[in-house]
Amino acid sequence: MKKFFGNKWAIAAFTLPALILFTVMVFYPIVQVFYRSFFDWNGLTAGTFIGFDNFVRLFDDSVFKVANWNGVKFAALITIFQMTMATILALAVSNARIEGRNFFRVAYFIPVVLSVTVVCQLWLSIYNADTGLLNKLFEVMGLEYRQNWLTDGSKAIYAIAFVNAWQWMGYQFALILAGVKSIPQSYYEAAQIDGCTPMQAHTKVTIPLLKETYKFCLVISVTGGIKAFTEMFIMTSGGPGTSTYTLTYMMYSSAFRAGEFGYGLTAAAVLVLECLAAILVINFIFKSEKGVGDLK
Amino acid sequence: MKKILALLLILALSISMFAACSSDNNANEAANTTSEAANTSTEEAKEDDKEEQITLRIYAQYSDDDTKVPYDYAVAELAKAYPNVTLELDIQAQDDGQKLQTYAATGNLPDIFQVGSTQIETFKESGNILVLDDYAKSTGFLDKAHPSAENIIYNADGHIYAFPYAGNELVMWYYNKAIFEEYGVEVPETYEELLEAIKVFNENDIIPMSIFAKEKWITTAMYDVLATRFAPEGITKLDAGMGKASEDAYVKAAETMQELVEAGMFPQGATNLNYDQAASLFYEGKAAMFLNGQWEIEGSTDKLGENADWMWYPVMPGYEANKFALSGGGAPGGYAVNPNSEHVDLAAEVAAFISEKYCEAKYMKRSNPILALEVNVQPEKPFPAMMEKLANEMGNITSTTKFAWGLTNPQFKVAIEDQSQFLMTPDYTPEQFIEELDKVIDRMNK
Repeated sequence: MKKFFGNKWAIAAFTLPALILFTVMVFYPIVQVFYRSFFDWNGLTAGTFIGFDNFVRLFDDSVFKVANWNGVKFAALITIFQMTMATILALAVSNARIEGRNFFRVAYFIPVVLSVTVVCQLWLSIYNADTGLLNKLFEVMGLEYRQNWLTDGSKAIYAIAFVNAWQWMGYQFALILAGVKSIPQSYYEAAQIDGCTPMQAHTKVTIPLLKETYKFCLVISVTGGIKAFTEMFIMTSGGPGTSTYTLTYMMYSSAFRAGEFGYGLTAAAVLVLECLAAILVINFIFKSEKGVGDLK
Repeated sequence: MKKILALLLILALSISMFAACSSDNNANEAANTTSEAANTSTEEAKEDDKEEQITLRIYAQYSDDDTKVPYDYAVAELAKAYPNVTLELDIQAQDDGQKLQTYAATGNLPDIFQVGSTQIETFKESGNILVLDDYAKSTGFLDKAHPSAENIIYNADGHIYAFPYAGNELVMWYYNKAIFEEYGVEVPETYEELLEAIKVFNENDIIPMSIFAKEKWITTAMYDVLATRFAPEGITKLDAGMGKASEDAYVKAAETMQELVEAGMFPQGATNLNYDQAASLFYEGKAAMFLNGQWEIEGSTDKLGENADWMWYPVMPGYEANKFALSGGGAPGGYAVNPNSEHVDLAAEVAAFISEKYCEAKYMKRSNPILALEVNVQPEKPFPAMMEKLANEMGNITSTTKFAWGLTNPQFKVAIEDQSQFLMTPDYTPEQFIEELDKVIDRMNK
């Protein structure tokens, strides 16, 4: 068997089906995105090659700036919220002294299994300026902080990002909890013998050992933020005006509403590059930092 | 043994892949053969069309009473006139034409499909829409057409690409007579009177005008209504690339819209109100006025009875001549035909037939006399008073514009939709609105 798997033809034969599928489903469309971004194309005809004109227009487009900035805000909010909350809750749930741990473990994960549409409708009700739960809470507390959460151009993007952060926090919670569970108990016993408090044990042992998990969490939340679409599509349709556009929404709007597929794909090409850059930067940061895991 | 097993596995995988490809090829070949056969013997196909049971795929709106009732009626009538034809309905998605565009791009267009003017232009370029000039004559469609519906039958290039059924529909400014009477407010005929009415309603916790501004076409309509106060052609001039947003009329319209937002004419958070929410404010007497198309007449009459009415848009001082210039109006659109349909002639005939039956259903069952064709049926119930009033006042209308979906330039359409919704928010300035629109118009004119 060893000899068989040493045969390069055998390896090729086994990987080929997956490779073909990947090429057809992922690689070829990405190449097409870049290729078509150099065309003035309506999605149906052959299109006209226009070189970098779409890119020049894109970098001069005020909507592109808004969309990019929204991507940054969205990514920052969901990353901070999800990673912080997921860490706190995972550490709490992993503590044997906490009652009802199994209940909380399931409860925190429930939003993840809900449909995005359902979650958005739920939060649309919560954010409703007149009858929504959020404004009612402020009212009950006697605070003069009633807001038009989704119709204020400067606040809407944060309100939408919070919906995503709330829904997907459970996913990161599950990943971090699995990471915490995989740390041998003996490390904590050693830390205790050295005089560590529980908090110090987490900061000196748990978190450094979860480096790879955090790296993965960071990649999914940052790229998820940059390419956000569904929430704004359902909750605000990119509005008011273009104030909750992201690059993905801009791509959709250019291609399907304005019929400018070439321009839409230019936004998509930039989106792909931004996601790749984010992954590279995250990898670089985590590579240059030496965690406890590297000292072994 | 394991080696043999592994090799067998590879073999099985490869065979299944090739089998899948080959069955596709066979299918394609079969389709090609069928298509060739259809092309070479059109006459035979026509004969066959009359005898064999044929199913035509149709892509049509089917979401509310205004779309379901006419469709069901047309299908029932079709079963009588063409017993051998069955329609397979593919319900139109509210997706900015995304699904239809995908169908066209993948060569999977239905035989008959509902299309708007923007898509007519795109499909024309790509050869995905049949020119219906001859069919319009041979089916007698043109003989039944209202003279006033020429603008919605003929495209700008003089050809017919779709059989319309709706007439020149309008953006109507509805109001609740009971609320106006209760607070002693005169129906505003001028801008000053409108501002006064807004003030009175706000003082009494009544929303002056309800609007479902989450939908961008209605914010476009609101801006267009105001633009017609200063220039009767409204936004159509900008859509055609014949003017700029920085022209006096459009600047004034933007400033007026901002002024109305600041005066509190619309509900708080209007840009997140959908139709149901906005309409219920009007129906429940929480809002005094409501903006929507003329198709709202039926709904408002049902909910408010005699208290529902419509008014002419208030006039701006110095622009009294534009009093009867209305927003809305028609644009080419309706049922189009796939030129690559296997039964192209039959599909064109059926498309014309369906459009005619839609007109009948709208007249009979939806109390709508504003149609593309003259119909020979009687309404099932008397027209609502608002519709009677509209029919009587039709002659006074001096000009109409277009709804957002009737605009011909898709880039302008997106820009005006986004920017007009922006204008509904308090912090957005007319200057920003004008700058962004002019950028798009400049690009259109390059």
